[in-house]
Amino acid sequence: MIRINCPYCGEREHSEFTYGEDATRTTPDNDAPMEEWNKFVYERANPAGEHIEYWHHAFGCRAWLKVQRNTLTHDISWVGLPHENPEAAS
Amino acid sequence: MSGFRHGAGRLGDAQLNFTFDGKPMLARVGDTVASALLANGVEVVGRSFKYHRPRGVTSSGPEETGALVTIGSGGKADPNARATMEPVTQGLEVFSQNCFPSPKFDLMSVNGLAGAILPGSLFSAGFYYKTFMWPAALWYKFYEPSIRAAAGMGVPPKVADPDIYDRIQSFCDVAVVGGGSAGLAAALSASQSGLRVVLFDEHNVLGGQLLNEANNEANADLEQWRADTIAALEAASNVKVLTRTVCWGRFDGNMLAAHESVDGKVRQNYHKVQAKKIIIAAGAIERPLVFGNNDKPNVMLASGARRMLNHYGTATGKMLAVFTNNDSAYQTAFDYSDAGIQVSAVVDSRQYPSQALLDGCNSRGITLHTQAVVTEAKGWQAVRSIEIADLAANGQSVSNRRRVACDVLAHSGGWTPQVQMAAHGGKPPVYDKKIAAFVVGDQAEDTYSVGAAEGENGLLVGVAQAVDAAKAACAELGGKAGSVAQPPQDRDGATNIVPLWSVPAKGKQLVDIQHDVTAADVIQSHREGFVSVEHLKRYTTLGMANDQGRTSNVNALAIMAECRGLSIAETGTTRFRAPLAPVSMGGFGGREIGKHFKPVRRTPMQEWHEKAGAVFVQAGMYMRPQYYPQAGETIDDAYERETEHVRKKVGICDVTSLGKIEIVGPDAAEFLDRVYINMFSTLKIGKARYGVMLREDGIVYDDGTTSRFAEDRFFMTTTTAKAGPVMAYLERCLEIDWPELKVRVSSVSERWGAMAVAGPDSRATLTAAFPSVDFSNETFPFMGVVHAEHNGAQMVILRISFSGEMAYEVYAESEHATDVWQAIIDAGQAYDIVPYGLETLGALRIEKGHVTGAELDGRVTLGDVHMDGMASKKKWFVGKNLKDREGMVHPDRPQLVGLKSVDPRTPISTGSILVTDANASAGADKQGWVSSMTYSPELGNFIALGFLRGGKDRIGERIYAAYPVKGKTVEVEVVSNHFVDPTNERVKG
Repeated sequence: MIRINCPYCGEREHSEFTYGEDATRTTPDNDAPMEEWNKFVYERANPAGEHIEYWHHAFGCRAWLKVQRNTLTHDISWVGLPHENPEAAS
Repeated sequence: MSGFRHGAGRLGDAQLNFTFDGKPMLARVGDTVASALLANGVEVVGRSFKYHRPRGVTSSGPEETGALVTIGSGGKADPNARATMEPVTQGLEVFSQNCFPSPKFDLMSVNGLAGAILPGSLFSAGFYYKTFMWPAALWYKFYEPSIRAAAGMGVPPKVADPDIYDRIQSFCDVAVVGGGSAGLAAALSASQSGLRVVLFDEHNVLGGQLLNEANNEANADLEQWRADTIAALEAASNVKVLTRTVCWGRFDGNMLAAHESVDGKVRQNYHKVQAKKIIIAAGAIERPLVFGNNDKPNVMLASGARRMLNHYGTATGKMLAVFTNNDSAYQTAFDYSDAGIQVSAVVDSRQYPSQALLDGCNSRGITLHTQAVVTEAKGWQAVRSIEIADLAANGQSVSNRRRVACDVLAHSGGWTPQVQMAAHGGKPPVYDKKIAAFVVGDQAEDTYSVGAAEGENGLLVGVAQAVDAAKAACAELGGKAGSVAQPPQDRDGATNIVPLWSVPAKGKQLVDIQHDVTAADVIQSHREGFVSVEHLKRYTTLGMANDQGRTSNVNALAIMAECRGLSIAETGTTRFRAPLAPVSMGGFGGREIGKHFKPVRRTPMQEWHEKAGAVFVQAGMYMRPQYYPQAGETIDDAYERETEHVRKKVGICDVTSLGKIEIVGPDAAEFLDRVYINMFSTLKIGKARYGVMLREDGIVYDDGTTSRFAEDRFFMTTTTAKAGPVMAYLERCLEIDWPELKVRVSSVSERWGAMAVAGPDSRATLTAAFPSVDFSNETFPFMGVVHAEHNGAQMVILRISFSGEMAYEVYAESEHATDVWQAIIDAGQAYDIVPYGLETLGALRIEKGHVTGAELDGRVTLGDVHMDGMASKKKWFVGKNLKDREGMVHPDRPQLVGLKSVDPRTPISTGSILVTDANASAGADKQGWVSSMTYSPELGNFIALGFLRGGKDRIGERIYAAYPVKGKTVEVEVVSNHFVDPTNERVKG
């Protein structure tokens, strides 16, 4: 079981969380061209290794968290709030 | 009859009764089913998976390949249980498997004959794949049923298991897997740090291979060490000892999964243990040698035969022969001889066994055949003799075949460390030439593999390794593990093995005994081009029986490597996956089964509905009234009556399951403008507005009504199905996308009971129920919102309609909702108010052409449901950027239409395909589908909603709704989706 250290609740099993989405994408401006939005919505890097993603502590405090997870090993190396990132925290 | 109760061992004299295939038998307390069956002289315990070959007990442990039995009967029956792992309890019922009429005489054993006569016959390697290539028409009629009848194991019970299973979640600092000498020492050492320790062992007695040792005076001090260590562990308050608990998998985050068998109210506990450090002391198991008829009853692993005698006091035969390629099996011959049982031969494939072994044989008068092999086990059903032969120096041929009498053959092909658990950590095992087996290579993080599991069979060395591991593990956790008294005797771990992967002689040589995979199958699959061991495994089904290839894996890999001319190290192993032992499904379910599988949500008015005789239907997690039948009414009668009544008079429906979200804050209006396609910042206080949300890709996400209670306070309703997802989505928007917005959202779904009051008399009814509220059109018009009170209960009343009739939704605090409901019912008596259920709710909304989840199925654009005009051009909203892509607005997209059956009384099935040809075949041009249907009392006609290609411009066309599965085709007319009151007069009345 993946365990995620929620900044509000402490370490919890991943069954308390729901996977959200890729957290490495940047939302285009509201008036950005359709092509840019198309890319944003449909294109994913799908990396083998470290990845940053959003998880929702749905059966806990209901916070949305940013999580750094290794897609090969499931190791979670960092958990933060949506507007933090691993570099700043470490 | 060859096995018998010898009497030595560790069991007392206390006796138990059990039955085997109905025949009463005696056992001793502490017996396993296997030891008891052997003691009762049972040789043939069951028949094999494919060939129906007779099978008996082959071991004393989890590696058992032969003695699979069904334990218990009825719902408690546990098929494919390993007789070696099942303790006998008083009155236990044991049944043989896969044989008719009896294990000794089985009609199906002709399968084995067919295998011998026809090369590449029915059950040889790859039969699953090849059989599928035969004429497909014959598969269902002939092959599938006959294979099913012929192959297989125990039969799963047909009735529900009455036993209780539990799930236990726990935490520990150090988990020790395996309770042999190394595991006991590791646990005791770790326990002295004060850290929390858990010890798992799948047997009911701790000690591992110490239990193979004779329980005599010479070993008394060793037995005392075992007892003292166990006693110390049991006395330690920080140690949990779990016996009869198979730890079967290791998962992310060091989670260990284990099934514990218990006697009592609960049958099994499924443990999920979160460990910080894991010490794997899972030991090693002996593997068989591969020779002719090596699966015949009374061919046993040497260590198994030894434990039968030394621990269970069951002699496996009256005359023992031993076949080995290493030192360890000699001890079995010596122990049997010392116990007064005749040993007719030790057959050793090696040329030069050590002097100590030679002396051991000489002093006991045991005939030793070196550089010799057993070519075949002989006997009608069980071993009565063996054929042995001299092995050529190059190992490729045999000569000088001769018979040796025996009624049990103990064999040893070397020892296989139990690396599965360590391999679950992600690192592949590596081949160790010295012991001719795979060992753990790199240790996974937080893992220490010690003792025989690490390829170290020596007693003192293994214990020392275990204590070192405990000290290292505890030190990393900031604790200090202690030392442990050393065992008073040593056992040399060196086996001096010279590998003998298969005997060069003809005969059925089983590699995977449990799955009936032969050495010939492995060679055949190589001939057919399989080179990867993963493919070999799947093609031959090797290692896929419930022993997971414990005994067969290394032998098969070695044979494969030989075929390919590679080393075993180069060939590699298949990947180890959990579960490493058969475990029951019951444990996974725990108590969350049947009606406890999911919580049932009930609305506050549940009891009222029950008293009113409602028939309930599950809608999501909710139980909702489907209809309220009157005497003699069918479901159709009931919903047609209720629907008609609402259109003519008034009805009330429980709509509590709608999602309800309160949105509060200075930026609440701005927030709603971003998530809805239409404008909410312009919504006046005390008004409601229908809103639609899109996903980022422009597809319709959800709809609902949102009201404005105050400048900074809104009340949103969502569909029942999307209540949870929309809430999570709004939270995500606020936390991730727009943290600058000062808005809070909170789910108030549970706070409000909700009821829809609909029909021409709804206003009069509510006026009578709540006289303090002015329901007149002037003060409370369509889409108006009013806060009110009834007997101290807060209410919100929205004048909105899902039916097309004048209607209100009354939201009342949950704890008072039934009072409010009752007040409406009471006041409505004057207007003949009726409660209506989900069927009528659906009929009304289909008549009106409103969409629900059946239409908004995640493929639909705004244009498809004629809502493109609603999208605001004055602001940005989620989905705006992509909603107008070419494919999303194409005029040929399937668009929402109404459908009317041309023959009014012919129903249109939901899920029908829309076609233009009455005789459309499978390849026809599919132009759309039917999403919802109902009978419309108002129109006197069956009607439906559906999506039709370019449907907007096809009103008046006659097409067909085809349902090929049921062979039904209905002629329908395409009409507007607004069947009833298309100009929307009634809601405003």
